[in-house]
Amino acid sequence: MAAEAKKVPVYCYQCVAGPDLLTVKVEDGVATEVEPNFKAADVHPGAGKVCVKAFGLVQKSYNPNRMKTPMKRTNPQKGREHDPGFVPISWDEALDIVADKLKEVQGKGLIDESGFPRVAASFGGGGTSTYYMGTFPAFMSAWGPVDLSFGSGQGVKCVHSEHLYGELWHRGFTVCSDTPNTKYILSFGMNVESSGGVAGVYRHANARVEQHAKRVQIEPHLSVTGGCSAEWVPIKPKTDAAFMYALINVMLHEAERNRLDVEFLRDHTASPYLVGPNGYYMRDPQSRKPLLWDTKRNQAVTFDTEDIVPALEGTFSVDGIEVGPDEEIWTHSGAEAETGFTKMLVHMTNYTPEWAAGVCDVPAETVRRIANEFLDHACVGETIEIDGETMPFRPVSVALGKTVNNGWGGYECCWARTMLAVLVGALEVPGGTLGTTVRLVRPATSRQASVSQGPDGFMVYPMNPTGKDDWQEQPRIRNAYNTLVPLSASSPWSPALGPTHLAWLFQREQPEHFPKTTRPDVWFVYRTNPAISQWDAPTVAETMADFPFTVCFAYTHDETNHMADVLLPECTDLEATQLIRIGGTKFQEQFWDYTGFALRQPAAKPPSDTKEFTDISTELCERLGLTEKYNAALNRGAGGVPLSGENYDFSLDPKVPHSSEEIWDASCKAASAEVSDGKEVHDLAWWKENGFMVKPYSRKHWYLFPTMRERGVRFELPYQEQLTRVGRELGNRLHEKGINWWDTQLEEYNPLPPWKDFPGIWEKATVNAGGSLEEMPFWLITAHSMQYSWGNNVGIQLINEVAKNVKGQNGVVINTGKARELGIADGDMVEVTSTLRSTEGKAILRQGIRPDTLLIIGQFEHWATPHAKDLKIPSMNTVTPMNMELTDATGSSADLVRVGLRRVGA
Amino acid sequence: MTRYVMIADLRRCVGCQTCTAACRHANATPPGVQWRQVLDIESGEFPDVNRTFVPVGCQHCADPPCMHVCPSTATGQREDGLVTIDYDICIGCGYCAVACPYQARHIVHRAEFAYGKATQNENQRFDEKRISVATKCTFCKDRIDLAEETGQTPGVDPEVTPACVNSCIASALHFGDRDDPDSNVSVMLRETEHFRMHEELGTDPGFYYVVDDKK
Repeated sequence: MAAEAKKVPVYCYQCVAGPDLLTVKVEDGVATEVEPNFKAADVHPGAGKVCVKAFGLVQKSYNPNRMKTPMKRTNPQKGREHDPGFVPISWDEALDIVADKLKEVQGKGLIDESGFPRVAASFGGGGTSTYYMGTFPAFMSAWGPVDLSFGSGQGVKCVHSEHLYGELWHRGFTVCSDTPNTKYILSFGMNVESSGGVAGVYRHANARVEQHAKRVQIEPHLSVTGGCSAEWVPIKPKTDAAFMYALINVMLHEAERNRLDVEFLRDHTASPYLVGPNGYYMRDPQSRKPLLWDTKRNQAVTFDTEDIVPALEGTFSVDGIEVGPDEEIWTHSGAEAETGFTKMLVHMTNYTPEWAAGVCDVPAETVRRIANEFLDHACVGETIEIDGETMPFRPVSVALGKTVNNGWGGYECCWARTMLAVLVGALEVPGGTLGTTVRLVRPATSRQASVSQGPDGFMVYPMNPTGKDDWQEQPRIRNAYNTLVPLSASSPWSPALGPTHLAWLFQREQPEHFPKTTRPDVWFVYRTNPAISQWDAPTVAETMADFPFTVCFAYTHDETNHMADVLLPECTDLEATQLIRIGGTKFQEQFWDYTGFALRQPAAKPPSDTKEFTDISTELCERLGLTEKYNAALNRGAGGVPLSGENYDFSLDPKVPHSSEEIWDASCKAASAEVSDGKEVHDLAWWKENGFMVKPYSRKHWYLFPTMRERGVRFELPYQEQLTRVGRELGNRLHEKGINWWDTQLEEYNPLPPWKDFPGIWEKATVNAGGSLEEMPFWLITAHSMQYSWGNNVGIQLINEVAKNVKGQNGVVINTGKARELGIADGDMVEVTSTLRSTEGKAILRQGIRPDTLLIIGQFEHWATPHAKDLKIPSMNTVTPMNMELTDATGSSADLVRVGLRRVGA
Repeated sequence: MTRYVMIADLRRCVGCQTCTAACRHANATPPGVQWRQVLDIESGEFPDVNRTFVPVGCQHCADPPCMHVCPSTATGQREDGLVTIDYDICIGCGYCAVACPYQARHIVHRAEFAYGKATQNENQRFDEKRISVATKCTFCKDRIDLAEETGQTPGVDPEVTPACVNSCIASALHFGDRDDPDSNVSVMLRETEHFRMHEELGTDPGFYYVVDDKK
């Protein structure tokens, strides 16, 4: 070590699969080396290791391409072709310019003439940026309404359908296998060895080697995860739902019924609920409670009747009412009512393996074998005790990757995956398919606490209302999530779960009978780059060039901040202070045996004139007269931890501004008090030395089933009565307003989703856009890269260098045999063309991809970001259309497009 | 006696290159010089294809071809099995790089930095002795030497364990003393099916690849 060397503990949360805990070696005041925080080895689910991305952080700090001071634009003309003419300014001048513009907004009113917030903000990375923006959330809270509409890839780059349906059915905003207990995983394009973070990689390695678990990877190309799996099934893109439907068909129509978990289906799901002739549940006319057929009394009873044994299957003659959309009531006497299970049985009859073989291009015997393997490993009837609680043990699960999970077909895949679990009782039990976090239902801090029984016996879900009196005709923000997507609910996360691309789309095409689309007066951007990361990125870049005033927190020059009016270079990852919650259960495979907090702190002095995000927020509030509201927000917990609790109070004086040091010192004290129930109080200095603090977290809390069982709440599957009603009501509301442009989306609301020709939707869109399927015979897809993650580190040389060791990262992956047919050799330059435009890159020939499929992993066609712009990596975002036709009912689409391919050079 | 060896469990490795990056950090190698890296190897033909990730680097052979061809005696061998290079003696002729069947040696003839000019962190770690000499994985020998002083065990205690092993997020890489029958690596080798790369060349490599449990 150098004369003066130390190791500074910090966290890395560059992707949702973290945070990872690490130390940074600092020699003579210079950060030089990243290591895992070995002190966390016994606490962290991945033995305290840190993923490859964190090793880019040292270069990130000392990158000579960084913004060295605040800048302002001198060229009023905006656009890719215009030099912004950025000139350096002082921090005071920069913050004055921003504050003056915000004061103008305060003067005009925070909401514009169309009812939209005048201030908008876009943040990247599935909430990760929050843990780098210090107290900016408190600034936004103090400010008031902010439009978080303008997406940077949400809807196609996340697992959008799973976020919504997962949360509805089992509080699974993100869903994963109970990997530490699994024996068999069906993974439909879930690239967990890339996207699952340290915990995912570590646990799946254990599953393979120590648990001897089998994982079958079903996807069009052989991903990293495919390479690490026992079997690869090269399925045709966007046909995953058909494969899963056939698995269900085998389980329902070929397997003995007792191979399913009949007790689980009968007592813990909606399977025995009786469905009336109009497709809605039969209900008791007085209480309106849904009815089941009790085999003990041989009569229909309400679902909450004591001492019953409901019939799982069958058709029964029942008196009662059905309640349809908008309070439409059908009264029945002696009506034929089938159980939800029987409805499903009939619904799935024709989805045989032989049928799926034709759709998926996978042999029927493969589908049938996998269905039986799933049953063989399900251990139906077995139990396991965890921390004193006896639960079913069902070590089988189904994982869905993005694109499978997004856009048309996403609903069907989510439904089928969850049903596969439900059929063998493997939902929210040890070994099975688990939700990992809640983001739409409150409280967000506990999945268990979010479980409460609704009037129909299922978990309460806060749908955006669709009734005549309570439908929110006026969108709160420009992506209209509350108006168009009932499932997106109404939490702080909901704006990001709406159709975020609509905010961009409506800027160019005003929808009929909808509030006039306006531009935001002020747009804040942080850790996101929609000018290259959104679908149809070049159009998005043009659109943002029309925004009148854009403030970018800027690391280097990039494609989005090219359009900015002011650039604010904040202290980055290793240069600022912040707390993050760790442990419990969080995204991806983040199931811990501990819970607590970790600290990020300045490891070394920033090399340029940067400022802590917390200080930027505090100073902006001072200029705007918002200090008191800002401090109040901090005291409530907007900095990540409430500053007072039952046994402690470290609240800040609301009247005066506080330094970053003071704010985080109070936060550290509150965090340690929260973790220790008020017994221990540690200040910032202690946290800087120790890095993190945790307490034990019972594995019982990994599973929702015990809470459901205890509270008598059933999983709302298989039959989707509520969703159907909500969808019909939404249709009524929109039609009353004369809105017909959401009609195709409304068709997605089905009680039992039928297979639709999902690839055909993209094919039709190609033809509708003037393309020819003969000239565009390939499916272009993408895959996750652990090294690049969402791409904000593409300009980091080390990351780019090591990423190149993983094949396929920096070009267009083509099936070797197909490429030879076309006269394309490895390394040739090829052009990939959609109906929109073309992207070019080097051909990478691989056997592990279907002949009808192309793969572009990097989505980084940078033209402004230093270093990255010289890499010449092709991007799907250049060629993927963004339109209503490819938008599903949840407001998402998929990274999928039909393309042509030609060699353009050696 | 002590014979330090490394083990890569190919069932666990996911090719993430965290070890590659950790090695670049720990040993301050210049851009493109990866003493540790992971190969991404495809075999078979569509649709019967396998993809395997194989960590490579200096195998610290017991009979190292690189040492035999070294005209300056810069390449040496320690009693604990580590193959070493004395930068003061090495003349950068490159014979060793040609002789090594594992392509584990690197020679750079001018200082290179991530963004052209040296950054603060690169200045801090720059070592002129590494220009125009052969370099390669050292098994992080300074850490192993530290173990002599502290009494810690390489492969068990992180402070005295190679950076790549410390960093491995899949627990695929292991390090230890093969001559100690109770060491982590000895136990692992007893319990698994494994091979060494190019064993037929008789180099007696100190790097094992695990493919399965012992049958």
